[in-house]
Amino acid sequence: MRRPKLRNVLISAVVFALAASSPHRVGAQTRVSIGVTETMETHNPYGDSVSLLYGIWSEVTGPFCTYEYDKGEFEGRLAKRWEVKDPNTWLFYLDERYKFNDGSPITAADVVHSMNRVLKDPQSKQKASVAGPIDRAEVADKYTVKFITKKPAAPLLSFVCDRLIVTSKAAYDKYGRDKADREHMMGGGPYRLKELIPGQRMVIAKRPDHPEVKKNPRAPDEVVYRVMRETEQRVTALLNNEIQLAEFIPPHLRKRVEASAAHRIVPVDSIEIMFFAMMPKPPFDKKEVRQAVCYAIDRDKIINTLVEGFATRLDGPIGKGQYGYDPSLQPKYEYSPEKAKKLLAQAGYPNGVSVELQTPVGRYILDKQISEAVSAMLTSVGIRAKLLTPEWPTLWANVQVGKVPFYYMGRGSVQDPSAALHQYFKTGGSPRIGYSNPKLDDLFDKEQQEFNPEKRKAYLRQAMSLLTEEAPACFMWRHKMLWGQAKTVDYDPLPDGRIYGLHMKALK
Amino acid sequence: MRSLTLESVTSLPANLSWLRTWMRPKVYVGGFIVLTLIVVGISGPMMAPYNPNHQRLERMLQAPQGIGGEHVLGTDNLGRDILSRVIYGARVSLLVAFAVVFISGFVGVGLGAISGYFGGKADFTIQKLVEVVWAFPPLLLGITIMAFLGQGLFNLILALVAQRWIPYCRVVRGQALSLKTRDFVVAAQCLGAGRSRIIIRHLLPNLIQTSMVIGTFAMASAIISEASLSFLGVGVPPEIPTWGTMLADARIYISTAWWLALFPGLCIFLTVLGINLLGDALRDLLDPRLKRTASGL
Repeated sequence: MRRPKLRNVLISAVVFALAASSPHRVGAQTRVSIGVTETMETHNPYGDSVSLLYGIWSEVTGPFCTYEYDKGEFEGRLAKRWEVKDPNTWLFYLDERYKFNDGSPITAADVVHSMNRVLKDPQSKQKASVAGPIDRAEVADKYTVKFITKKPAAPLLSFVCDRLIVTSKAAYDKYGRDKADREHMMGGGPYRLKELIPGQRMVIAKRPDHPEVKKNPRAPDEVVYRVMRETEQRVTALLNNEIQLAEFIPPHLRKRVEASAAHRIVPVDSIEIMFFAMMPKPPFDKKEVRQAVCYAIDRDKIINTLVEGFATRLDGPIGKGQYGYDPSLQPKYEYSPEKAKKLLAQAGYPNGVSVELQTPVGRYILDKQISEAVSAMLTSVGIRAKLLTPEWPTLWANVQVGKVPFYYMGRGSVQDPSAALHQYFKTGGSPRIGYSNPKLDDLFDKEQQEFNPEKRKAYLRQAMSLLTEEAPACFMWRHKMLWGQAKTVDYDPLPDGRIYGLHMKALK
Repeated sequence: MRSLTLESVTSLPANLSWLRTWMRPKVYVGGFIVLTLIVVGISGPMMAPYNPNHQRLERMLQAPQGIGGEHVLGTDNLGRDILSRVIYGARVSLLVAFAVVFISGFVGVGLGAISGYFGGKADFTIQKLVEVVWAFPPLLLGITIMAFLGQGLFNLILALVAQRWIPYCRVVRGQALSLKTRDFVVAAQCLGAGRSRIIIRHLLPNLIQTSMVIGTFAMASAIISEASLSFLGVGVPPEIPTWGTMLADARIYISTAWWLALFPGLCIFLTVLGINLLGDALRDLLDPRLKRTASGL
C-alpha cells in the first residue's frame, strides 16, 4: 500500500517542480511577466502621461513612429514616413498593412480622432507632452494625415513618436468613450490588450498576423506588467521566478540578483534627467541663492557612495548621447561650500536661510535618501533645508500646479531636450517651476523653429548654457538603471523606460 | 484581638492583594523597561555618542561593531550612527506618548465627566461625537489628518489625540453616571456646592485611577501609532529620528543590512511590552473586582 502512495507523491513533486521552474511557459505559449514601479489607473489610454504607459499603449496601438536607439533616429511604424510640407505643416503617411484587432484598416480619420482625444478629451493628461506644439490634425487622404502646428516645430517627432496612441474612431462612435476604452480597445500594434486591472496589472497578447511580429518571432506571446512598488518585492518575485524582468533594482540589491545562477543584472543608461527645481519665490528669486544650492551639493560624493557609481553626473541639463549635448558647456558647478556661503551672503542671507525641500519616496532610485543627503549638505552651508516627504500623488499634483517651491524630480524621455526644457523652463510652459526669462524664451523659440540640425543644436547649447547659469534647477545626474532579468529572457532595456514586448526574446 | 466585622474582612485581604500586585515580576520587568526609556529619553544628548543626523556617506551601512567599536550598533544608509538615532528616537517616542496620553486624557476625562454628570443634551451631543469619531479606523483617521495638516511633531500629536480621548470619555462617563447618585455627591449638592466644584473636587478624584490604567495602554498604542505613521511617511519630518522612520528607511535594506531594521524594531517591541506589563499591573492594583477576587470574596 505504501509504494503507490510514495510513487504518487514523487510524481506530483516532479510535476510541481517542473511547473514551478518555468512559469513563463503556458502550454505552447510564452509569457514574460515584468515587475514595474509605475501604475495604470485608468482604461482611458489618454488618461495618464508616464513613460511606461506610453510604451504599453504604443505597443497595443502602433506605435505611430519610434526612436531607434541603435540608429540614433526616428523610424516609421504605423506612420511609415513623413515630410515637412511647410514649417507649420507635417504630413504623415500611414502604413496600409496595419489593421485594428477586428481587421478593419487604420486610416487618417482614426489618427485625427486620436489627436482630438489628446487635445479635447476631458480626461486627457497628454496635451502638453504629445500635442504641445500641435494646433490640429486633418485628414489629407485616407492614409495621409496632416499635423498643423501653432509655430514651426522642428522637434515634433519627439512629441508624437512612441507617444501618440491611435485608437479606433469607429469603436468610439459605436460604443462611446468609456465602453470603447474598457471593452472594445482597438489597436493596430503587434500586441492587443488582454486585461487591465487598474493599480495591479496589465496583460497584452501578441497578434501573430501583425507585420512587425515577423521581425521577431521569439517575442513572448503574452507580456504581463505587474505593479510592484517595493524594491524588495520585485527582487524576491524575480528570484522566485514569479516575474522574469524587474525594473529599477537599487544598486545595493544587485548582488542578491547576481548571486542567483538563473538571473543577471542588465544596466542601461537612463535618459531621465534628475534635478532639484527651485521656483523663483523667496529666497529662490535670487540667482545667487539658486547657484549656492548648486555649489553646495557634492554630486560626485552622492554618486560614488549612495548610488554606488550607478549614475552619470550632469553638467548642464543633459548628458552624453542626448541631442545637443555639449561637453564644454559653461558654467559648471563644482562642489564648493565656500562659494555657496559667499553667494548666500551676497544674496542678503549672511546668517543663512530656512527652506523646505520636498522629495518623492520610492518614485526614483533612492530618492528620499538622496534628498536627505542633499538636505544635510545644504544645511552645512547655511541653507537650512527641512525635508518633507509627501505621498507621490500629493507631491505630483502640487508640482503640476506650481505649489512646491523646492523639490527633487526627474524628467524622462529626454532624447531631444526641447520638449522637456520648454515644459519646465519656458515662460508659460507649465507652472511646475514658473520660471520666466525673455532671453531664454527667445532662444527656445529659435531652436524649436530651426529645421537645420546644426543651427538648432547651436541655439539649444546657448539656451542650456544660460539655463545652467541662471539655475532655476540644479541638474544632478542620470541614473544607470539596473534591470533584473531571468536568463530565460533576452532583453535590452531602453534608456527611456519604455518596455516593448517585441524587443524581447523568450529563450525557452 | 480584633472583632470580626465586615470592614475587617474586606480591608485586610485587599491590602495583601495590593502588596502581591506590586511584587509581581511584570512590575519589575515593565518598570525597568519604562524607567530605562525615561532615563534614555531625558539624558539622550549626553548618552548619544554622535549627533543622530550627522551623515558620513563614506561610512554608510557599516555592520554593528559591538561594545568598544566606533559604531556599536552600526551605521545606516547615510552613515549615521544607529545607536545615537535609537537613543534620540526614544525621546520622540516618549514625548509623543506622554503628550498624547495627557492631552487625550484631559479631553476625554473632561468630556466624559460632563457627559455623565450633566446628562441630557450635553450627554447626547458628546456621545454622538464619540460615535462619529469612533467610526473611523484609527490609522486611516491619522493618515487623513496628517495629509491635511502636513508633517510635523505637533501635527502628529494632534492626529494621535483625535481618537484616543474616546476610551477615557466612555469609561469616565459610565463612572460619572454611577458616582453622581452616590451619597457624598448628594451631600455636596445639599451643602450648596456648584456643579463645577462637584466635578472637580468630588468626581475627578474618583475617576483618576481608572484613567491612569487607560493611559498606560493608550501610551503603548500611541507609540505604535507614531511608528506606523512615521513608517508610512506621514509622521514627523525625516530629520527627526524616530523608530518608525528608522524602520521605514530600513525597509529597502532588509535583506542586505539587517541591523537597520532590527534595533528600532526591538526598541518598539520592548517599550510596548514594558508599558503593557506596567499597565496590567496597574489594572490589577486598581480594579476593585480583582481585589475582591484576591480576597476571596
